[in-house]
Amino acid sequence: MTDLRTKTVPEERVVRPAAETPAHNRLVMLGRGRSLLMDALLILASLVIIYPLLWMLVSSFRPTDVIFRSPGLWVNDLVLTNYTQGWHALGNPFGHYLMNSALVVIGAVAGNLLSCSLAAYAFARLRFRLKTLWFSIMLVTIMLPIHVVVVPQYILFNQLGWVNTFIPLVLPKFMATDAFFVFLMVQFIRGIPRELDEAARIDGCGHWRIFARVMLPLMGPALATTAIFTFIWTWSDFFTSLIYLTSPEKYTVPVALRGFLDSTSGSNWGAMFAMSIVSLVPIFLAFLFGQKFLVKGIATTGGK
Amino acid sequence: MSAISELSHIKVTKAKSPEERLARRKEATRDNKAGYLFLLPWLVGLVVITIGPMIASLYLSFTNYSLIQAPEWTGLANYARMLDDARLHHSLKVTFIYVFVSVPLQLILALGIALLLDKGMRGLALYRSIFYLPSMLGGSVAIALLWRQMFGTDGIVNQILRLFGLEATTGWISDPKYALGTIILLHIWTFGSPMVIFLAGLRQIPGMYYEAASVDGATRWVRFTQITLPLLSPIIFFNLVLQIIGAFQSFTQAFVVSNGTGGPSDSTLFYTLYLYQRGFGQFQMGYAAAMAWLLVVIVGVLTAINFFASKYWVFYDD
Amino acid sequence: MTLDSTRNLTYSLGKRFHNQWRKGNAMAVTRRQFLIGGGVAVAAMTTGLAACGSNSESGGSADGSADLQFAWWGNEVRNKNTDAAIAAYMKANPNVKISGQPGEFATYWDKLATQTAGNTAPDIIQMDMAYIAEYGSRGALLDLGEGGADVSKFAEGTVDSGKIDGKLVGLNAGINTPTILANPAVFEKAKMDLPDDTTWTWDQAKEVGAELTSKVGGGVFGMSSIFNDATLSAFLRQHGKELFVDKGLGFEAADVVPWFEMQVAYEKAKAIPSAAAVSEEANKPLDQSGLVTSKAGMAMFWSNQVEAVNAASGGEMAILRYPSIAGKATERKAWYKAGQLFSVSARTKNPDASVAFVNWLVNSPEAAAINLAERGIPANTEIAASIQSKLSPAQKSVAKFIADIKPELAETPIAPPPGGGTLAAVMTRYQTDVLFGRTSPADAATKFVDELKSNLTG
Repeated sequence: MTDLRTKTVPEERVVRPAAETPAHNRLVMLGRGRSLLMDALLILASLVIIYPLLWMLVSSFRPTDVIFRSPGLWVNDLVLTNYTQGWHALGNPFGHYLMNSALVVIGAVAGNLLSCSLAAYAFARLRFRLKTLWFSIMLVTIMLPIHVVVVPQYILFNQLGWVNTFIPLVLPKFMATDAFFVFLMVQFIRGIPRELDEAARIDGCGHWRIFARVMLPLMGPALATTAIFTFIWTWSDFFTSLIYLTSPEKYTVPVALRGFLDSTSGSNWGAMFAMSIVSLVPIFLAFLFGQKFLVKGIATTGGK
Repeated sequence: MSAISELSHIKVTKAKSPEERLARRKEATRDNKAGYLFLLPWLVGLVVITIGPMIASLYLSFTNYSLIQAPEWTGLANYARMLDDARLHHSLKVTFIYVFVSVPLQLILALGIALLLDKGMRGLALYRSIFYLPSMLGGSVAIALLWRQMFGTDGIVNQILRLFGLEATTGWISDPKYALGTIILLHIWTFGSPMVIFLAGLRQIPGMYYEAASVDGATRWVRFTQITLPLLSPIIFFNLVLQIIGAFQSFTQAFVVSNGTGGPSDSTLFYTLYLYQRGFGQFQMGYAAAMAWLLVVIVGVLTAINFFASKYWVFYDD
Repeated sequence: MTLDSTRNLTYSLGKRFHNQWRKGNAMAVTRRQFLIGGGVAVAAMTTGLAACGSNSESGGSADGSADLQFAWWGNEVRNKNTDAAIAAYMKANPNVKISGQPGEFATYWDKLATQTAGNTAPDIIQMDMAYIAEYGSRGALLDLGEGGADVSKFAEGTVDSGKIDGKLVGLNAGINTPTILANPAVFEKAKMDLPDDTTWTWDQAKEVGAELTSKVGGGVFGMSSIFNDATLSAFLRQHGKELFVDKGLGFEAADVVPWFEMQVAYEKAKAIPSAAAVSEEANKPLDQSGLVTSKAGMAMFWSNQVEAVNAASGGEMAILRYPSIAGKATERKAWYKAGQLFSVSARTKNPDASVAFVNWLVNSPEAAAINLAERGIPANTEIAASIQSKLSPAQKSVAKFIADIKPELAETPIAPPPGGGTLAAVMTRYQTDVLFGRTSPADAATKFVDELKSNLTG
């Protein structure tokens, strides 16, 4: 076998399409015209897609009683009271709920990254007995609707005395119960050329070192995707928080947000929108900064 | 020597001699311990947190369980009852339409946008974030309100239609004919998750493949069909399997938009919504559990078909 | 190098494809293995599922100290009031600790059901008429009559709604009664007077609605739909029927055919808007409803919603009686409903302390001074009188209305039996079908009754 590791080292990529030919230049020109059109299309699409969100943003600056009479995006009299009042309207300042959510999210992200990547490596690269069976079981666990397992699960956590703590929200993540991510990482690992870890194996690396030194760095996009999704899904997860957290001091953001609503009497929509925006900021930032890791795949890190 | 020929060379070296097979089998035995070690956290979680509740729910599906009183064994009664539950049959129909319309549309859109964004253009990070925004609040109350507002009788959609001189008087969400369509649209609107996964997948395709193809003068289309699609196929497959499973379990969007009723006139009565109504609204958790297992069977069969079909179009590098 | 090599590349990639785990060792161990593994967890759970009657642990102690959980749903105003009431009570009773669990109506019931299944239901539970029988008839709620709750000063007709199978399992937390609210601004626009609600019939109400629609114009309708479960109850009672009789349905298909026909007539006369608009209205939160946004002249609301409607609309609604067949308010068979009730879990470790707190909530001037009429006008007449002066203008007019209709009251309807809580949803569905012309009133009536009957038998 030839030295496989040279396959992806950067030097290999020196091979470039012949640039600077007239034909190429014309292509670039064409490309510019096209990219203008593309920009226009993308901007238009973005606008359509975020209109509802802009409306929500604008609504958060409107007094509650005019919110639902104004479908447009213009604010006549900008009010900040939704924010100032909304922050203090619930039992605790809103920052308290943000902190609770942040705690849960940090635990969940760490748990998922660790446990799912381990399981995924086993499923994608190792050969062991009953693999098919375990893999199918993992898939079946994704298929059962949450509403029927939630009661037995609640009873279980209750027997363990963990109701009204963050444990039921975080601990399962350390056990890779989000099979979605295991499957995701399995698919990613299987897309990574086997030569890379086989080369490492020939060099005498054991599974742990192959996993830690070869796989993890190559799984950048998959890990980033997992981290971002876990962050966002945990941040907005309502049902589990609702069921397990009973005292208002422990409420996470989505549960707290419901405190503004009562369909039978008045709801404080303005404050609800305002605090929704506030609670969106962390996930938007997480995504905006986190996604830079999405683009660090094989394409940029090479075989390193 | 160009990268391509070198790559083809690798393939050749991978021929399977009997000795090599033997070696592989040995290797397989060696992996046993490592395999289970790597799998350990998941196995513990499976046994302690997942399997228990799943078996419990299977047990409950053979009982009459009101949540308030202890379950009472009724054998197959729940399953028998499903046979002539007209609302259940209707909810299956609604769910199937939803799954088979929204999943392909959403995936095509997600893949298309991911390809556009993969070009490394100006403002890429911002676009990606904007396109992902809807997924961040997919199931929140605020979104349900927005949707009802937009597709209401006097919502923005009708106002735009009226600008074009159309007589738009119906409330899209409140008309049984169109309500499901608006939820499908809502689902497509949250194409961010598969898009992000596609993007990550695209990033993992080694650049040298494209470079080699360019050297050979391959057109964009050839590069797309011959390199991108095959190499992305594990990810396409992942998205397809998971989106189908997810769509069958679709709950939140229909729940918040219809206030949990599945209305108007059951036109958005998704399977899990009906399951929820039975379990938590009518305190028939036994029946709901039976419904859940029917869903597992349906989705399981579809997933199995998916896995079977994947042999013919998904390429793995192993 | 040619294009072919690219093809070769993909081809060979394809050839290399195999599916490792599908070829894995399919040995037949497992089922037993994982049944054993899961067995531990299952055993733990099934003991939990068989929840009833594990009263062994005692959290209460001889000195009367207790640690109580109190769950309710509501908006932030109610949350603040209730927190304040809890604080006041704990100050007066230092050995009692109460933790609040505020929630929101739609999700409150999921949580309560799960907690009840897990044997961790809160000690004190804010209850709704639609659910009280589900919990009460299954033994999940404490008999407050036996527990020493004091209802001696409750207004007539306000105690019975909390009785299930003869046991008092819920105390009325605020009187409620169905009303039709009229927006005076819309009537003014039409240059019409408010109708005389003591004499109006269902037909006349329809005409008033139709007249409003045609005189105001601009997409404003006389009424947003007034046809909900409360109106159906009124309608049936005036025909000598009830929604529910003991453990069963109180009416037959023939009784509701005219109910569906009446709605079609209202729609034809343009007293109510089109089918789509009616079904849209049904899902709108109070603040977006037609009446509040001046898109409708009249609408059905409960009396304890008046304050919220006024606040959201910025105006002051007129409170009207719902119509009658005979055109006589005294024959309209009015009733008091409990807006919410306070119940105590049957599995509380501190029944005495819980009942004492509930008693204090409904019978003490201190609690009333904090809550005022936010949950509805207090059922205890003395307490209602004691807070009279502190009420908001809207609450005052509600208190007056509730006092005024006393001569019109008929027997209190019983709580919906288990499964009966679905009535409103099932009715809305068939109403929508009828209004959209998808079913005839006769068919809808038959299906409606059939489905309800099957829901009632569980």
